[in-house]
Amino acid sequence: MSRDEIFEGVQDIFRDIFDEDNLVLEDTTNSDSIEEWDSLNHINLVSAIEKEFKIKFALGELMGLKNVGDMINLMIEKSNE
Amino acid sequence: MNEYMFSDITIGLEASFDVTIDSSKMSMFLEICNDTNPLHMCGEYARSKGFSEKVVHGLLTSSFYSTLVGVHLPGKYCVLHGIDIKFIQPVYIQDKLVVSGKVKYINEAYRQIEIRALIVNQHGKKVSTATIRVGVKDE
Repeated sequence: MSRDEIFEGVQDIFRDIFDEDNLVLEDTTNSDSIEEWDSLNHINLVSAIEKEFKIKFALGELMGLKNVGDMINLMIEKSNE
Repeated sequence: MNEYMFSDITIGLEASFDVTIDSSKMSMFLEICNDTNPLHMCGEYARSKGFSEKVVHGLLTSSFYSTLVGVHLPGKYCVLHGIDIKFIQPVYIQDKLVVSGKVKYINEAYRQIEIRALIVNQHGKKVSTATIRVGVKDE
């Protein structure tokens, strides 16, 4: 799966969770960029990504992420493991 | 009350309990939410809309999803994160319901579990289904 395909899939998950069909993600998008991106929605995002992409994150891996781009890069790294 | 710790929880873990909806439950729910829609108040009106009798509030029935996670699965250490409910069949006063749930997914990093739950009536018909996300705060 290419980076663009992963990005598209993650964007669909964000649109679903934040109930915003026109939401457009950038690599730099972070929790400051989306008002409803609170701790609970963060957990929901991670759960949805794990289920959709069939990967599992460890807490330590998630703690260092600063934005969507970091998440996508981690997903690529894990899919190559 | 069950006291499942996060480490006790595995995919497929199940719980269930029975409950009967009597008129006193409906009166108490009405007092709380004041949803006086005639579908819930008037048998004649409900019958004119194709129901057998006045219909129990869907959210009264669904309140037992709270009991499912807060008392049974995982029980004591539950924190409700979210719930998506589908209503399938009406519930009437005196219906005997079985509420059940099964763990379908575990988010290890954030200690969240997802439970697929359903409520079945005395005729074996599903009255609703739900996907429930709960945190397990046993620390």
